[in-house]
Amino acid sequence: MADLIIAEPAATLSRAGRYQRQDRYFQWLTGGFALFVLLLLGGIVLSILDGAWPALRQFGFGFLVTETWNPVTEKFGALAPIFGTLVTSIIAMLVGVPLGFGIALFLTERCPPVLKRPLGIAVELLAGIPSIIYGIWGLFVLAPFLQHHVQPFLIDTLGELPWIGALFQGPPYGIGVLTAGLILGIMVLPFITAITRDVFDTVPPLLRESAYGLGCTTWEVVWNVVLPYTRAGVVGGIMLGLGRALGETMAVTFVIGNAHRISGSLLAPGTTISAAIANEFTEATGDLYTSSLIALGLLLFVITFGVLTAARLMLRHLERRRGA
Amino acid sequence: MMQQTSLQMAPPAPATGATNAKVSIRRLNFHYGSFHALRDINLDLREREVTAFIGASGSGKSTLLRVLNRIYDLYPGQRAEGEVLLDGQNILSPRQDPNLLRARVGMVFQKPTPFPMTIHDNIAFGIKLYERLGRSELEARVEQALRDAALWDEVKDKLQQSGLSLSGGQQQRLCIARAIATRPAVLLLDEPTSALDPISTAKCEELIDQLKDRYTIAIVTHNMQQATRISDWTAFMHLGELVEFGDTEQVFTRPRERRTEDYVTGRFG
Repeated sequence: MADLIIAEPAATLSRAGRYQRQDRYFQWLTGGFALFVLLLLGGIVLSILDGAWPALRQFGFGFLVTETWNPVTEKFGALAPIFGTLVTSIIAMLVGVPLGFGIALFLTERCPPVLKRPLGIAVELLAGIPSIIYGIWGLFVLAPFLQHHVQPFLIDTLGELPWIGALFQGPPYGIGVLTAGLILGIMVLPFITAITRDVFDTVPPLLRESAYGLGCTTWEVVWNVVLPYTRAGVVGGIMLGLGRALGETMAVTFVIGNAHRISGSLLAPGTTISAAIANEFTEATGDLYTSSLIALGLLLFVITFGVLTAARLMLRHLERRRGA
Repeated sequence: MMQQTSLQMAPPAPATGATNAKVSIRRLNFHYGSFHALRDINLDLREREVTAFIGASGSGKSTLLRVLNRIYDLYPGQRAEGEVLLDGQNILSPRQDPNLLRARVGMVFQKPTPFPMTIHDNIAFGIKLYERLGRSELEARVEQALRDAALWDEVKDKLQQSGLSLSGGQQQRLCIARAIATRPAVLLLDEPTSALDPISTAKCEELIDQLKDRYTIAIVTHNMQQATRISDWTAFMHLGELVEFGDTEQVFTRPRERRTEDYVTGRFG
């Protein structure tokens, strides 16, 4: 390589030198940006750890398994918000994943072309609605509707069943864990739909035709060919939705009722980690109170990180089992 | 068999041509939206013989193949008019269930398209769609299909590996095995060797030659030598019309039409 360059005329040589310098600067610059992300992440983790330290030192492991949250006596435990976060997210996934898959499959497999664009745009608009709007709508429209029409029905029917009956008992408040989960489900729906639609579109037409060519119904094609082919992308879409459901604050704070207790019923009010932080940070007077809220934030961080890691491990396991 | 239940109409006598016609195409016209892609095609595919479709790109030969299993149905705006009789039954009739039809008319595409599952499941999948078999019966059918596709010896020790782990030529033979595992009446091959190297191509051609003892085969090819090597009948198509159809040897050595002669001798196309 060097021999070649020396053989070139002087003008070309200086140009080559300039290009090399430019490339080097460019590498430093972009490398610096990338490093900045690591610094930022590290800084955030450190400052949260630092802020949460007093609460963690005071309560230790008990912080994770205590339900009490009493600002007066300064006894704080995170069990209720953790429970609320997980339960609302599970409800959100139970609503969002099947609906999102259904919409995405309709859009990619069965939709008449005239409807494809309008429906796709509608889904994307749903993603663009600010969460505060969902919160207001949830509080003033969805919650009263559920209170008057849906929850009494649930209490009378599902509430009477053995085993799952306990989930649907108690007075119909309207607001509560179930309502928060439903709102979250609507909020994650566009993410799951948009991502799964895009990955379903990556299935080669010939592969799809091969499956139809064997005499498969649309469902058989989807279940046996489209979903396995797009598994990584689909899991990614679900995880993005789950990440949003875990961390979503504003809309949940509006409709969950903000009660630091764990109830067996989905109709009862509860709280989530992010809702508790948003609700109480302004009124957190004592250092221990503030520190406990920051510790809640740390927990959310850990949960989200854990979910992402679990998703990656699951994908790797699936890939190995597929024997690729 | 399930699909037999859909054959309710009595088979009418063939309008023209051979008595051993498995598939009879009558006055077939095909449209992609406003584009008229096939014009008045009349043609018979004879039972247990190979019919090759040759012609330049855009001549409609792949389109014709795609009519025979109604795969075009998947796309709005594509429509066929006329009649295609399979064993005397018009498959273009709205009463024909396209899924049952496709189970009887297997198709192999330009590129290998193994499903994202194991080699074994690639074959078993199609069988299980329409037949409820015991485990040992199913295994026997999988083995038979792989043997018929001359792939068994190469994959018998790795049936549980992904179909995607095979080489291109093996993948294409896997797709052929998959297509014949369901025991179709007709096999459609749409340029099956266009993505393969010469050795894999030779293996596939040998395979097609063996399969014609049992299947009625229609193959689209851009390779004129391939058509002469493997087909009994050749149809030359040009711009959506069937220019010439006849005995392969006749079409290549004594073409009746000037356009056919120009094409098979390489003067255009």
